[in-house]
Amino acid sequence: MTSRRTAWVGVVLSAVMMMAATAAAHHSFAVFDHTRTLTIRGTVTKFQWTNPHGFLEVDVPQPDGTTKHYSIELTSINMMQRVGWRSNMIKAGDKVTAVVAPLLSGDPVGLGLEVTMADGTTKPLPVPNAGSFKRTTETQ
Amino acid sequence: MRAPHLALSLTLAALVAVVAAQSAARAQSKPAALPDITGSWERHGLGPGARAGGPRDATIPPPPPQPQLKPQYAKEWQDRITAGRAADAKGEPLATNYTDCLPDGMPTMMGAMFPMEILQSRGQVTVIEEAFTQVRRILMDKPQKSVEDVEPGFYGYSVGRWEGDTLVVDTIGIKENVRFQNMPHSPQMRIKERMKLVSPNVLWNEITIEDPVVLEKPHTYTVAYRRMPDYTLLEYVCEDNREYADDKGRQKIRIN
Repeated sequence: MTSRRTAWVGVVLSAVMMMAATAAAHHSFAVFDHTRTLTIRGTVTKFQWTNPHGFLEVDVPQPDGTTKHYSIELTSINMMQRVGWRSNMIKAGDKVTAVVAPLLSGDPVGLGLEVTMADGTTKPLPVPNAGSFKRTTETQ
Repeated sequence: MRAPHLALSLTLAALVAVVAAQSAARAQSKPAALPDITGSWERHGLGPGARAGGPRDATIPPPPPQPQLKPQYAKEWQDRITAGRAADAKGEPLATNYTDCLPDGMPTMMGAMFPMEILQSRGQVTVIEEAFTQVRRILMDKPQKSVEDVEPGFYGYSVGRWEGDTLVVDTIGIKENVRFQNMPHSPQMRIKERMKLVSPNVLWNEITIEDPVVLEKPHTYTVAYRRMPDYTLLEYVCEDNREYADDKGRQKIRIN
C-alpha cells in the first residue's frame, strides 16, 4: 500500500516536473534517469556548439584497457551562453569530469548536469528543473 | 534711416509670429505618442517562487484558467494528455513538433520560452522569438482577411491597431498541427491579443483563443514580459538535431 502510494506520488510529481521542464526546453527530459547520476571522467573528442542542443563527446578509459565513448547532451547553447558558457571553454583533448543523468535505455548518452573543466573549475548546465535529478555517486 | 529699421523689425516680428503659430499648430495636430514596446523581453512571473511569500507582485498576471472544449473534442484532448503523461512516466515520451525542430507557432510562441524581441516600424510590429528564430509580422491598420483567403501557417496572418495605449491584434490562419497545449483547433480559430504596458518595464499580453467549432467559450489567459535593456537576441539554428520520432511515435535520441 505504502509503496503503491509512493509510486503514485512519484508519477504525479514526475508529470508535474515534466510539464515544468517542457515549458522551457526543446524536448522532454523523461528519457533520462531521474533517480541516479553517473560521474564520467575522460578525454574530450569534441565540444559541439550547436542547437537544439550542444554536445560534449568524451572517451572514457575502462578498467579492461578499452575505451567507451559517451555523448553528453547539453542544453540549448543559447541558454548556456546566457549563464556564461562559451564555445572555447572546452577543446578536444581536454580531460574533463561530467555529472550526467544517463539515458534510461542504457545507451551511452547522458544529460549533462555539470562539467569540471581541465583547469578544475566546475560549471553547471542550465538544465530546467535540474533539482529533479537525484545525484548519486556512481562513476564510469 | 529709421523707416527701414522699423520695417525690418516688423517683418521679423511677423515671421517669428508665423513660425510660432505653425509650430503650435503642428504640436496640436501631432498624435499622442504611442507606447514604446520596442526591445528585448523575457517571460515574467514564471517559475517556482514567483508567487511564493511576500506581498503579491501586481505585475504578475493571474494563473490561466482551464480551456473549455466541447465534449467531442475534450475527450480526445484529455486522452492525449493522459497518454503523454503515462509515456513520460515510462521514460518513453511521445514525439512532439519539437522532436522535429519545428517552431512553436501561434499562440505558443508568445509564451516566450526564450527571450523575445518586439520591433515597431512604419505600418508593422514585428515579434521575433529567439527559440527557433520565430518571426511574426503584425500589419498595422490593415483590414483582416477572411479565413478562406489565408494559407494556414505557423504564425498565421495578423493585423493590429492601437486602441489608446493597447496594441490590439487579430490573428487567423494557423495550421491544424500547430497546437497550443496540445489542443485541437478548427480553421475558424482566431487569436486575439491585447498588449499593454502595466509598468514602464512590464508588458502584459492578454491572449484570447476563439474557436466556435472546438471551444465552448473563448479561452483567455495573460502572459507578462519584462524588459531586458542590455540583451541582444542570439541566433538559433537547428544545426544538429539528434532527436527523432520512432515508428511508434516516441521521442528517441540518435546515438553517435
